[in-house]
Amino acid sequence: MENKHQVPVTVLTGFLGAGKTTLLNRILTEQHGQKYAVIVNEFGEQGIDNDLVVDADEEVFEMNNGCICCTVRGDLIRILSGLMKRADKLDAIIVETTGLADPAPVAQTFFVDQDVANKTKLDAIVTVADAVHLSSQIEDHHEAEEQIAFGDVILLNKIDLVKDENIDVVTKRIRKINPFAKIIKTTKCGAPLKEILNLDAFSLKRILEVEPDFLESDHDHEHDDDVTSLSFVSDKPLDMEKFQNWFGKLLQTKGQDIMRTKGILDFKGENDRYVFQGVHMLMDASPMGKWPDDKERSSRLVFIGRNLETMNLKEGFEACKSE
Amino acid sequence: MTTDLNQFPQLDKTKFEQRGIQLEIGVPVTCAVSIGNYIAAGFGDGTIRIFSSGEKHKTLKAHKGVILCMAKDGDNILTGGDDGYFLKISLNGEINEVTNFGSRWVDHVAAHNGNLVCSSGKVVYYWDKNKKEPKSLNHDSTIGGLAFDAKGRRLAVSRYGGVTVWKKDYSNKWKSTKLDWKGSHNKVSFSPDGKYLVTSMQENVLRCWRLKDKLDFAMSGYGSKVKSFAFIDDTSYLATSGAIDAICWPFDGEGPMGRKPICLPYIGNKQVTFIEPFPDEKAIFAGLSDGSVFLSQIENENNTIIIRSFTGSEVSAIAMTDDKSSIFIGDMSGNTLWTSIWDQ
Repeated sequence: MENKHQVPVTVLTGFLGAGKTTLLNRILTEQHGQKYAVIVNEFGEQGIDNDLVVDADEEVFEMNNGCICCTVRGDLIRILSGLMKRADKLDAIIVETTGLADPAPVAQTFFVDQDVANKTKLDAIVTVADAVHLSSQIEDHHEAEEQIAFGDVILLNKIDLVKDENIDVVTKRIRKINPFAKIIKTTKCGAPLKEILNLDAFSLKRILEVEPDFLESDHDHEHDDDVTSLSFVSDKPLDMEKFQNWFGKLLQTKGQDIMRTKGILDFKGENDRYVFQGVHMLMDASPMGKWPDDKERSSRLVFIGRNLETMNLKEGFEACKSE
Repeated sequence: MTTDLNQFPQLDKTKFEQRGIQLEIGVPVTCAVSIGNYIAAGFGDGTIRIFSSGEKHKTLKAHKGVILCMAKDGDNILTGGDDGYFLKISLNGEINEVTNFGSRWVDHVAAHNGNLVCSSGKVVYYWDKNKKEPKSLNHDSTIGGLAFDAKGRRLAVSRYGGVTVWKKDYSNKWKSTKLDWKGSHNKVSFSPDGKYLVTSMQENVLRCWRLKDKLDFAMSGYGSKVKSFAFIDDTSYLATSGAIDAICWPFDGEGPMGRKPICLPYIGNKQVTFIEPFPDEKAIFAGLSDGSVFLSQIENENNTIIIRSFTGSEVSAIAMTDDKSSIFIGDMSGNTLWTSIWDQ
């Protein structure tokens, strides 16, 4: 009945000084013929003066639904509902989060709030990283690591200030945390806006198109609280019931440590591919049509998070394979 | 006042639509209030339209952006916008700036007896009618709603974690008491008899406090957020949106605890998105997510008539003139209806 046009919302995260404001200024001033609203933090790095800039106070609150992971951004719910009343239709909305903020509550707001989900959709999490300082920031601040972990796109900025071999080191460090993010190397955040906005990274269809590093990985362990990723592949079809039991329980009990999950699944007796992706405990899943004839059927699964090695993921996944 | 409901959902115009004035403004209607026999409606492009019977409506350009909130102050209209302006506007179109917060939105406005309040972010600003400078009332989190009680003595401010109730003591100093309940509280209202305070929450639930002993309880069971509610016929009922029925909780006698609400069903199983009381009657206007508007008697669900038919867009404002002769209806796509209620 209602036409469900949803305005895409990009979450822009990254450490202080990485270049978020440079990127926001580009988005607001470049002649792109699009109308973008930008929601900035009240303690942002510097003032950006523009009618389409809205101050937010990053008010995070827990939903009273018993799910400990369900923290959402109350200010965002209010601001998005206000923006939806504008006379001119917005082409996209960009939400800046402070350098020290956890991007998860922003992402979760789009899963949890019905009004927000009706009128807007989470497009992608874009992380701006400072190529000069990222390695030390990851060592010193868990937030820096988390921002890399959540990113769909990582702008590795200021590469003009770093030697080539050091860029490789930083890139490898990012890949270890996040195997599926697209890494764009930039100076002054100079990537084309079409590679940053309107990516539809959270749509399940896109998971099929972007082939992440689904290589089966072995965990090599450095620090206990490192954010890492693990991926699993199986050519043997999975048992749907077993998988649902295992995965449901896993997210329920370990959802706080599991930051993001993505996967394509081949269930025994099913003709369709099943695609899912999640942020902490919240998950979006759907069958996505038949397996293409020219492609081998297989199940692939990626986890990004903390303490993954304590969750017996490999054993759990193996046990889901059909008899 | 009867219409054969069996004719619905044929897309014939209702008699109210036939005799009224329908406009397609094309931008969302965000709010509407009655001022005497005038209705002022605010829009997403910053314009205000003032309707009165027998005259063509008047259009004013008031704000640069969305009109987020509106209240009446005597014969004036108060508006807050996402352009940061708090304005006082007379019915003949004179616009006065009360204040301007720059890039910060004016989220809520209210007035009582010439005293004005607005909120922007975490701060409530109170203008005593005899003073030029406002008093700031600070809160720890962003304000979800504002309401005076019927006598204007108490000001309720809803926020994350509950409600702060402000009151001036005998030495004219502001004192606050807190009513706590975990979660985010949005719209707030005192009952007309002053005995209860109700908030709608971010979750699909209402929270209510009985003020004499601070006993609090929930009204739950909703399928979606309760964005609109109103006390009906003084404090007889609290009528609420947020379900496919209009849910009316009894507030007479000992209040709603342990009692069942009356659920008024509407054709088409669409969500109720807006509730407006029919003054002094146990009756409500209910606006639905598909744009249709019904008038129902709470204690007789068979006595329901359709005022406006389907438009495809969620009803976002309903207001009735003080003489109960005419109503204004607006939705999120800017379809409006201004019509007399009574047959000639």
